[in-house]
Amino acid sequence: MHELLLFASVPAHQHHELLQQLAGLTAMQPRHRLERRLVFKAYRKPGLTTTRVGASQDLQGVELQRLNKMLNGGMFYTQVVGPVANADFGGNPSSSGDPDVSMSGLEEKPSSSSSSYSYEDQPWKLEFRDIPEAGTRSAVTARLMASATLPKGDITAPMNAWGYSFVTEYVVEGDVFVLNDIVIFLHRVLLYPTGTQESHGPRRQLPAYQELSPLERTGSYVLQAAITVQDGGNQEMMRTASQHLFGLREQLKSAVRLEMADRLSLDTRAK
Amino acid sequence: MADSFSLPLRPLTEKPDRPDTLPIEIAQINARWGSFRDVNEETLLAKIEEDKNRDPWEEEDEDDKPAEDVDSTERLETLYKRRAEILQFAMQAHMEALFALDFVSLLLSKHTPRQAETSMSTFLKQVAPLGSLNAEIVEPPPKSEAAVQDVKTVSRGWRAQNFNAAANKLLNSATRLEEEVASETKYWDEVLAVKEKGWKVCRLPRERTALGVQYGFLEATPIFRDRGLAALRRADNGSLILDKGLAPQKTRTVRVRVKNRDQITGCSKMPDPIPDAASVERRILQARDTVYEEELFHELMREARIMGSHGVTTRQNLVRVPISEEQEILLDLVDADREMPDEDKIESTEHDILANGLSHSIRILLAYAHRQNLRRRTQPPPPLSQKRRHTPEYQLLRPVMAYLQHSSHVRWLESFMNDIYRVLRAAGVERDFHAVPFASVSLPKVQAVPKVESLVQQFLMPFESTFSGHLITPQSSFRVKIRTNPVSPPFGTHYDISIDLPHHPEVQPPGRIGLQNEAAAALMHFVKLDIVSAIALQGSKTAKNTTKKEGVEGDRQLTWEAAYPHHGELLALSNAGRSKKLKISLSREELKVETFPLRGLEGFGRSGATKAPSLQSQTWTSDQAASKPGLMEFVAEVSREQS
Repeated sequence: MHELLLFASVPAHQHHELLQQLAGLTAMQPRHRLERRLVFKAYRKPGLTTTRVGASQDLQGVELQRLNKMLNGGMFYTQVVGPVANADFGGNPSSSGDPDVSMSGLEEKPSSSSSSYSYEDQPWKLEFRDIPEAGTRSAVTARLMASATLPKGDITAPMNAWGYSFVTEYVVEGDVFVLNDIVIFLHRVLLYPTGTQESHGPRRQLPAYQELSPLERTGSYVLQAAITVQDGGNQEMMRTASQHLFGLREQLKSAVRLEMADRLSLDTRAK
Repeated sequence: MADSFSLPLRPLTEKPDRPDTLPIEIAQINARWGSFRDVNEETLLAKIEEDKNRDPWEEEDEDDKPAEDVDSTERLETLYKRRAEILQFAMQAHMEALFALDFVSLLLSKHTPRQAETSMSTFLKQVAPLGSLNAEIVEPPPKSEAAVQDVKTVSRGWRAQNFNAAANKLLNSATRLEEEVASETKYWDEVLAVKEKGWKVCRLPRERTALGVQYGFLEATPIFRDRGLAALRRADNGSLILDKGLAPQKTRTVRVRVKNRDQITGCSKMPDPIPDAASVERRILQARDTVYEEELFHELMREARIMGSHGVTTRQNLVRVPISEEQEILLDLVDADREMPDEDKIESTEHDILANGLSHSIRILLAYAHRQNLRRRTQPPPPLSQKRRHTPEYQLLRPVMAYLQHSSHVRWLESFMNDIYRVLRAAGVERDFHAVPFASVSLPKVQAVPKVESLVQQFLMPFESTFSGHLITPQSSFRVKIRTNPVSPPFGTHYDISIDLPHHPEVQPPGRIGLQNEAAAALMHFVKLDIVSAIALQGSKTAKNTTKKEGVEGDRQLTWEAAYPHHGELLALSNAGRSKKLKISLSREELKVETFPLRGLEGFGRSGATKAPSLQSQTWTSDQAASKPGLMEFVAEVSREQS
């Protein structure tokens, strides 16, 4: 699957107004979305040899080649995304969450916790994003993407088994609108309070929501308009999708300036 | 205040100091008519007459008239001559213009030689040096007092006239503006009134200068969604006109009629046609209703087309839905104020309630479909691909049809069971059954979706009703489930019968019965089977009792054995060799038990000749008046009988 994107920066003071405008444009109420995002980095396991170097005559589909490359070739950062609710924040951090337990579901639920958040029941989704395609003539960011549902609960063990190590995590807060095929996500990144940094794994308890601080100090938001295309090789579909995005850009012209992102700033390759 | 102060725009019209003096008038007459001696009444009248008769273009035509008489060569000649004349005149005019140009150029060449030189002819340049002509203002000789006075008067007259004209224009525009302002105010007041009622007022997308009001449904099919917008135009007097463009102004509505045995016995209520002088609000409402109704009918048609397998037929403007053998529902889109033709005459109002109920249901279902559309629209869309997303047909007719079908089946089964049990009761068997119609419809307590939606959802799921009851022998029971599935195959209504017959554990009903007759036959068969086992059981019990009691030999009871239970036949073998056969037949109307004497087992073969004398039978009907001995008493009676 491919993803076509346009971005815009929205200052904090314009946020409310833009929400109203988007609600009017899409004729729907915003759907609030809160997500934990864990960043994992691929590493090469010792003993794992890269297969087939240089065997370029193989008649393989582009997608398959890409997949192979993704698995064996370059190393990428990937994100594991888990939806959370507002009520999940502010758990009692003193509860006994043993970070060394690797299997999910075997752990006892911390009964002393005041929050309803249960790390063991947290659903996860793996989101892989390639570096945006270079040299595209059209003025949108296009990149290969794939998503997959992951098992619930502690995700570090399976991810480790697949050759990914946990790097860091953050929270994304925002509102989603849908306009025909376009998903508009007005969001910002929130960081966990420093100090209680657990470097070795994802948190089992979430701090109070107020303690999260926006990554961007001014509190500004990012407006992201995205279309996913099933078959990235289909030029016509890709063109239609870009046309839709440009249409949205025209419609929002007086409010925000949607433009393509800097390719290298969306680089997900692990060096 | 400013408005109390009015400034006259017109100049004061002052009376002329004196009318024209007589000498002036005499001078005018002299100038026009010559000497007074020549002017008399006759000549004047003649002159007036002549003026009246004269055609304004006559003068020009006069020259042409004789030309028609001359022949063509002469005409050509005159034509050439005239042409030459015209050319000559034109040349002359050209020359004169050039002379004038030269003159002016020469005159100007004193002050702006460079510019003037460009417009001078070469001949002039050779002949006269540049700047050789000058002009000076010459002091004109002083005009006479009278002439000055004249000019003054004339200019004053001109000015007064102009002032007058200007004032008129200003006043006219003032009045026009005033009217305009009044009508604009009225228009905007009405627009505001519309807005305050909660309608969405916006600019028209096609016509950026006009206002529109949106009354359509956002979740409707695009063609109907886009039709839900009408321009708010201003009439000349400022009142608001709802301009729907080419869409018809009439109120249209979906009419539901119930046809029973080829007679229309019910019709849904029609909305009142709106009067001509209806308010804008009313008109908007009417437009909204009409667009809703049209969408409803469109969707009904769409759905009806995929329901051909259910017997639904469509015509240009009619959907026909069969409900049962004799009943069908007709749906059509009609103008609200249309007179009904004779063939549509409504025979009775028997099913008005049904028709009204149906018309409400399909509208509620369409509103529900709209909500579902909103839900679908606000979900993250699937990735873009070449497959176009098909919008499924809304469920409008299917739930309605399923409901009617289901309730008709339930009613039938209920009446059938009632009949059977009445027969049994008449035969002295007191048993009862329990019916739960629409057992599947239950309102959930907690729900993620809003209440209205969950309410409707219940009616989109398969309907299920259950019947359960005990049979005659203890422990035996039956249970019938009627299921009607409106959406997914298998369509239609099915009977699921499960029975528990301890005496015939091997008997199981067929899995899914679709026909009423088959279901009836199966149920009847089970009841008969149960009666047979009840009699057999009764016989064995009494037999035990009698043996315990050491009963009298002569009064010995026969023991019935279920020989052919599926045929309802029992046999009793007595030691005396006089065997008997008991035959039970059950129908919806009656239960009949007959006994036949048998002579040994081989008696079947020749029973025809010999059995007649002691044949006994008893019949219980559902509507019998007199009380008869019960089934068990009768059986006891016949079994006791010995000869």
